[in-house]
Amino acid sequence: MTQFLQTLFDGLTVGSLYALIALGYTMVYGILKFINFAHSDVFALGVWMTIVWSKWLGLGQPGAAPTPWYMGALVLVLAMASCGLVGFVIERVAYKPLRSAPRLNVLITAIGVSLLLQNTGQLKFVFGPYPKPIPSLIDSTELFSMMGVSVRMADVAVIGTAAALMIAMQWLIFGTKLGAAMRAVSFNTRNASLMGINVDLVISFTFVVGSMLAAAAGFLYAMKYEGQAKQTADSMWVMLGLKAFVAAVVGGIGNVRGAVIGGLLIGLIEFFGVSYLSSHYRDAYVFAILILVLLLRPEGVLGKATVEKV
Amino acid sequence: MSKLFEETRSLKAPVWGVIPRAAWPLVVAIAIGALIYFGVSPLVGGFVSKVMLIVGINIVLAVSLNIVNGYTGQFSMGHAGFMAVGGYVAAGIVYYGSIKLWGSADPAGGILSIVQEGPKSGPLLGKGDFLFVISCLIGGLVAAGAGYVVGLPSLRLRGDYLAIVTLGFGEIVRVILQGSHDQIQPWKAADAAAMPVYELAWKLGGPKGFNLVPTYTTLFWVYFWAVLTCIAAYRLKSSSSGRAFLSIREDEVAAQAMGVDLTKYKVRAFVFSSFFAGVAGGLYALDIGAISAGDLNFIKSFDIIIMVVLGGLGSISGAVLAAVILSILPEALRDFQSYRLIVYALLLIVIMIVRPQGLFGVREVWDLKIFKRRGGGLGGSAGGAP
Amino acid sequence: MLDVRGISIAFGGLKAVQDFSLSIPRGGLYGLIGPNGAGKTTCFNLLTGVYTPSEGSIAVDGVDVTGLPPHQIAVAGLSRTFQNIRLFGQLSVLDNVLLGLHLRGRHSLASTLLRTGFHVSQERAMAAVAMRLLETFGLANRAEEQGKNLPYGDQRRLEIARALATEPKVLLLDEPAAGMNPQEKKALRELIQRVRQEFGVTILLIEHDMGVVMNICERITVLNFGQTIAAGTPDEVQNDPKVIEAYLGTE
Ligand SMILES: Nc1ncnc2c1ncn2[C@@H]1O[C@H](COP(=O)(O)OP(=O)(O)OP(=O)(O)O)[C@@H](O)[C@H]1O
Ligand SMILES: [Mg+2]
Repeated sequence: MTQFLQTLFDGLTVGSLYALIALGYTMVYGILKFINFAHSDVFALGVWMTIVWSKWLGLGQPGAAPTPWYMGALVLVLAMASCGLVGFVIERVAYKPLRSAPRLNVLITAIGVSLLLQNTGQLKFVFGPYPKPIPSLIDSTELFSMMGVSVRMADVAVIGTAAALMIAMQWLIFGTKLGAAMRAVSFNTRNASLMGINVDLVISFTFVVGSMLAAAAGFLYAMKYEGQAKQTADSMWVMLGLKAFVAAVVGGIGNVRGAVIGGLLIGLIEFFGVSYLSSHYRDAYVFAILILVLLLRPEGVLGKATVEKV
Repeated sequence: MSKLFEETRSLKAPVWGVIPRAAWPLVVAIAIGALIYFGVSPLVGGFVSKVMLIVGINIVLAVSLNIVNGYTGQFSMGHAGFMAVGGYVAAGIVYYGSIKLWGSADPAGGILSIVQEGPKSGPLLGKGDFLFVISCLIGGLVAAGAGYVVGLPSLRLRGDYLAIVTLGFGEIVRVILQGSHDQIQPWKAADAAAMPVYELAWKLGGPKGFNLVPTYTTLFWVYFWAVLTCIAAYRLKSSSSGRAFLSIREDEVAAQAMGVDLTKYKVRAFVFSSFFAGVAGGLYALDIGAISAGDLNFIKSFDIIIMVVLGGLGSISGAVLAAVILSILPEALRDFQSYRLIVYALLLIVIMIVRPQGLFGVREVWDLKIFKRRGGGLGGSAGGAP
Repeated sequence: MLDVRGISIAFGGLKAVQDFSLSIPRGGLYGLIGPNGAGKTTCFNLLTGVYTPSEGSIAVDGVDVTGLPPHQIAVAGLSRTFQNIRLFGQLSVLDNVLLGLHLRGRHSLASTLLRTGFHVSQERAMAAVAMRLLETFGLANRAEEQGKNLPYGDQRRLEIARALATEPKVLLLDEPAAGMNPQEKKALRELIQRVRQEFGVTILLIEHDMGVVMNICERITVLNFGQTIAAGTPDEVQNDPKVIEAYLGTE
């Protein structure tokens, strides 16, 4: 029972991270119909921005005083802002010239951007090739323990922040004018521009928001795994991002609520697989689910099937 | 119906000519392999030979990936996965096969498989060479089988979905291989010899990789396969099947309306392409004498994709050229190691924006105007020369 | 030759085609007209298997093809052109036609790789047939050009040539005259007549240009909002009040 609850809790925590990243994939896919491969690198960048800004502000370093919560929030905002900026630049420089190009070309470009981010990060004067420890911005002792499930402050922060951001997204997309514009562009780009919507602006905005969510996920990841040393060039980052993408597909790509459900689902599947089947095949479960979903219900759990017009 | 079509229907198959047309690629492959191995390699020395070997394997990989990504316009990102499948199968067969057959895992090749430099003596082919050749073939066939399985869902998945599935496939292969059991070390050959085959089949070294495999891969074998791959890819491209591949890439709806069976041809492309990826995996494993699934992750797949995209989606000579350039470049830029991938990445982005079809597009080097002008009577500037 | 019984399809709430029936005898040349968005192209998509009809049946020369995938319908003898030209742009003009010939040949992986005698003579014969087809269409001198580099009218004719190369029993032409000038239209009319005689195909034609339709079609079916509102000879249709209303109502 304890193992079950613990697995459930861990699965949901990590699942909410996947959900945050998946939102970015899904929003970009909804509008531009391509997989933004570089999104996982923006997430990794979020982790690194957290490290860099904390260090710059002298937070969470060995021997430093405990970080007050508002300083932690400041780091989050700074990380989100810097990643948002990067997302904006990526879209303008790499993707915009390819708006009307075949999707394959855009996909290849996205792979290029991903490789570029990874390897630039590795340079000595950027983040460097060596592992760096994640600062402890949050009290890592156990908060309370319920039926044998240990709950840390970090976990609460992760789930709480993720949930708050998801609700904010829901409001942004379905409750604001900008959100309506995003939905219009995603439904039919040409008609939207005929209706006077500034499509370029909406697309840029989508990228910025998606990148900011990825950065938030990076920040929360750093909360959860504080103290661990991480490397820039690690296929682990891409892997995490890919799982989030899988979450977006499983939930129904282009569907915002689907991304959240998919994220939680993938987190649960991964953790239950690891704790009840075998930890060897951690990454295989997720992809097996992906292949299954694509074969049985290619439009995803919440997605709608579409017919191509001829 | 109409007189026009009678001709195709009344075709009789002349039997003559089959054998030379089927056989000359083998002859050419052997000749070029031998030329490079006996002629070029001693002249250029060990280091250059080593680079040439990498180039050759990459040619096989790039040209074969081009069949899926270039000809049919599907997007596979799991080529390294097929390579891993073929590589592990070949390494397993050679390693445990040697132990079973002659009690030790020492190389037992002839002149064509002597890896060391210097004068070579002995028979042309040793007993080990047969095992080696067969292992590469079986590695290729098993990889082709995997290609069939991956290719089947490809009909239901367009573009980037397929990319993710193939990427997922590659990762699953990696994870599963890393979960295999410990290898039986060479000094315990007797144990292995006594063990049934099905038990050995899963003792592939797990996360440590499969090591101490006898080495056979030489420039001869690599270029033998490289030439075969290119000729096969060319024959495919310049035939009805090849046109069917290209039509799928151009317009799936129109291709179907012309009677092209999408499933059949997409799967065919995958099977064909993964066969050669498997062979390349075998060559790779039996060159180093070790194979590790961890090295054959999606980064490796990306490397091959970059070659295909740079050379031109659909161009065989373009893929070859790109494989040569991109295999030599990192060796030449050893001092700038950390910038290599940055340069690659920028290259990808810039090519996609400036020249989306790659260097050659679907065309071949010999289709270029500079080569055409000489022969043509219509020649523009060249025509003026006396 | 072509027997369509009550086929329908809806996209979401939009009933694009409803209870469409049509029967064309061997060698017939029929027309399908209707205002924009009436469902004509959707009919072609249903006939050629791009979409599967939710009800009804389609038979070509007595063979039921309902629900078959598009490539098998092509094998059964139904071939088409597209309203928004869908040539294989990067392939040569010759290759485009060769692709049409593809489905009547046999192409195994082994014979392709080994270049068997059969494979080689089949390729040669196909090339010869394709060249003759191109000559019929006056495109022989452009055989090596890329499809996308042809002028518009040539692209339309190449699409017809490519469709004919599949050796169809029934040829479906979707607005072949679209974007042509009066001269080209006249040439096209003659071409269609000639194709019908030389190749003995049955033709169903979608066309907005009344000059073309009324002059060459034996019978015409009129669609509006997915429903068949009239069917008959050109004269009958032209004078049908429902047809007049449909056309005036949308203008
Ligand atoms: N795949 C699809 N999904 C949704 N709606 C579709 C689809 N295909 C066609 N439609 C709709 O069905 C209706 C009929 O379209 P269709 O293309 O058949 O008209 P048409 O008669 O060919 O018109 P035109 O003369 O403009 O070519 C249109 O309203 C169109 O928007
Ligand atoms: Mg139409």
